[in-house]
Amino acid sequence: MDPAQLIGPQSQLGYPAPYWFMATFKVLGFTLHMVPMHLWLAGTAVAMILRVRGGEEAGLYSHRLMNQMPIVIALGINFGIVPLLFIQTAYYQVFFPATILMAWPWFSIFVMTMLAYFGIYMYAVGLRTSRLTGPVRLGGWAAALLLVMVSFVFANGFSLMTNIGAWPGIWQRSSVAGAPLGLGLNTGDPTLLPRWLMLLGLALTTVAVYAVVDAGLLAHRAPGAYRRWASRFAPGLYTLGAVWFAAAGTWYVFGTWVPEARAAMFSGPAAILTALTALAPGLPWLLLVFLRRRLTASGAVVVAAAQVGVLALNAMSRQVLQNVELRRFADITAQPVNLQLSPLVVFLALFIAGLGVIGWMVGKALEARRQVAGS
Amino acid sequence: MHYPWWYVHLLTSPMLIAAVAVVHVLIAHYAVGGGLFLALETRYAYRTGNKAYLGYLRQHAWFFILFTMVFGALTGVGIWWTIGLSSPLATQTLIGIFVFGWAMEYVFFIIEIISAFIFFYYWGRPNPRSHQAMAWIYAFSAWMSLVLIAGITAFMLNPGGWLDNRSFWVGFFNPQFLPQTVSRTGGAFLLASLYVFLHASIKARDEALRHLVVRRAARLAMVGAALVVVGGAGWFAFLPESARAALESAASLNVMGALLLALTGIVFAMLYLVPFRNPGWVSPGFAILFLVCGTAAFATGEFIREAVRKPYIVYNVVTSSQMLPSQIPGLKQTGYLNGGVWTRAFVVSNYPQVMSEGRVDTKRLPDLPEADQVRLGQVIFQYHCNNCHSAGRGYSAVGPLMRGWNQATIQGIVENLEAVNFFMPPFAGTSEEAAILSKYLETIALPRPAGMRTSGAR
Repeated sequence: MDPAQLIGPQSQLGYPAPYWFMATFKVLGFTLHMVPMHLWLAGTAVAMILRVRGGEEAGLYSHRLMNQMPIVIALGINFGIVPLLFIQTAYYQVFFPATILMAWPWFSIFVMTMLAYFGIYMYAVGLRTSRLTGPVRLGGWAAALLLVMVSFVFANGFSLMTNIGAWPGIWQRSSVAGAPLGLGLNTGDPTLLPRWLMLLGLALTTVAVYAVVDAGLLAHRAPGAYRRWASRFAPGLYTLGAVWFAAAGTWYVFGTWVPEARAAMFSGPAAILTALTALAPGLPWLLLVFLRRRLTASGAVVVAAAQVGVLALNAMSRQVLQNVELRRFADITAQPVNLQLSPLVVFLALFIAGLGVIGWMVGKALEARRQVAGS
Repeated sequence: MHYPWWYVHLLTSPMLIAAVAVVHVLIAHYAVGGGLFLALETRYAYRTGNKAYLGYLRQHAWFFILFTMVFGALTGVGIWWTIGLSSPLATQTLIGIFVFGWAMEYVFFIIEIISAFIFFYYWGRPNPRSHQAMAWIYAFSAWMSLVLIAGITAFMLNPGGWLDNRSFWVGFFNPQFLPQTVSRTGGAFLLASLYVFLHASIKARDEALRHLVVRRAARLAMVGAALVVVGGAGWFAFLPESARAALESAASLNVMGALLLALTGIVFAMLYLVPFRNPGWVSPGFAILFLVCGTAAFATGEFIREAVRKPYIVYNVVTSSQMLPSQIPGLKQTGYLNGGVWTRAFVVSNYPQVMSEGRVDTKRLPDLPEADQVRLGQVIFQYHCNNCHSAGRGYSAVGPLMRGWNQATIQGIVENLEAVNFFMPPFAGTSEEAAILSKYLETIALPRPAGMRTSGAR
């Protein structure tokens, strides 16, 4: 069977905005989503390990990170709405079939995230009340494990979206009279494992950067020893994450990419993007090494910005590669546009106004904090 | 038919939407009404210098944030997750129409989260005006998210002029928009008050303080009750004719409608007699009972709202059998199996002998062995019927509905589905396909119950 026959027809409504607009917001939204997502994915596990194996300052980072984690997760889930929305708008022909073929694991993301969230809340409340009992610690460890599992299912879903060649096999193996049972996973895809491991490695680098952001920017009342610890800890963790990322990335690119993908990503402007994506973690790493001498607030801001740049490059590369992978079957982004101009303008205006409101609120919060510190 | 159909044994996959959605609406409405309660009451407490009340509100805000941010955000995403799996064509269509509505809602979500956390964090900080501003920003953005989603759910019931001009704004400000916005706003006030009664009955130990909380929340609830009545009347007035007819003719909806009226009456009576007139009578037991009655009324209302849309998921836009109405005449000519992406692929893989020039030739179906005809009939059932009906047993199963029917009876009904029952979509296939579907259905039809004396014979 030609797998491309399983791609459904285009919507009669057409795209509500040009493809580039949706892709831009998808990439932007995914970049924003990645920051908190990395923190909960690798951060929960790192915090749990530091609690057991680290010293006093490591324990403080663990404490602070887990205390902030409920907010991080709430923000991350909502930041994930925009990329998901634009995936469903622009890539509906492949997104829906891929997720339906693995419907139960995909549905379980919601259940596992809910359980993980409760585990983290239990732990955060335990921290606040100084009652880290056995069940509370178990809640923290369970959350760490569940969030790693969630990331694996996500990697399955998004790799299956472009691995259309696997659809017929998964469908035929688990269906009743042509209706899938939704039990499939994309485990036969050689790109799955390195892709997922790349995510975990990159998440570790974000957690490393967050250690200096927390110590340099947020933890005003923490002892100086915490800053010194963070400035030593971050480069080490970043090195681990970057090496992990590089190893998995090498496996991914040279061991699993189809020839079309390699040809496309190593030629023309895409080659520059590929090279930048591979080399980008070097900049935050260098900055972190530099900050070992003296961790300052401005230094923390610069390294955070550099890490956001790393994530943005990853999101852009991912986007380009996704289209290359899909083009083997069909160019599903070549669709007529039926522009919804006025709602688009209202959304953009609201988006800008919303940023203004958020800026004002954060400013007020910081002002109150300074007043309290001053008094 | 554009997408694979997710088969969930006994339950049917759309029931998973219902399970997640019912939980979500009960929390999401609290997130909206609770926001206004906190904004109003924080203002009142600052204005009157009532530190005890401020202390209580702080406690309530913590409970509120924990509950709505955890459950509300996750179940909201959960609904979206589930509709994409269980109702992909309707989801694709709605997102195609309202992507910027959802994108606007996203902006308000982010503002909601940040303002809620800063509002809580601000307690005890030097500037009460900024603190109150955070509460009002939260309340407004939460209400705007209600308005935006109400426009989309209202569209599903009555798209109004959108069917002719396909304008976003005409679709959004559809005939059901205002009634649903008003009733949902009222429901949010009412439901939030029920949560407040429960929380206050447990956490506000001081009697005077508890009375104050209950009395003030009861006022909000009374406003909510009035809005629910006004919005509910508007909802009924702007129902499409088919939805009103479904309310009259479907026995389950008769029962649900009566239940909704009874529960709403009970809730209003309880509200007026206890929290409004006698706030001192509010105990944890009463508050739990009240919350149970309120949530039951809410869930019943949501069930009815969903059910009256049949035979559509989006009225006149997407049928409950995951088709566009415009496709149906063509499918009756060229065949359902041929028209569906995954059904055609199934036939290509398993029955190439019925293919002709790349198409499923339904005229060849009767030539297949009987067992294969039944198997293909089951494929049609999965894609055409399993959206609303499980097979032999389970949710709205067809097996028990067809007790004692033979194939001829079944086929007669299949071929005239929308005439037999107006809230069923038409069968979108050829007569050969109707025949093989009927053969499959006959295999799962249960026998007529024994012992019934309907012919007068002894």
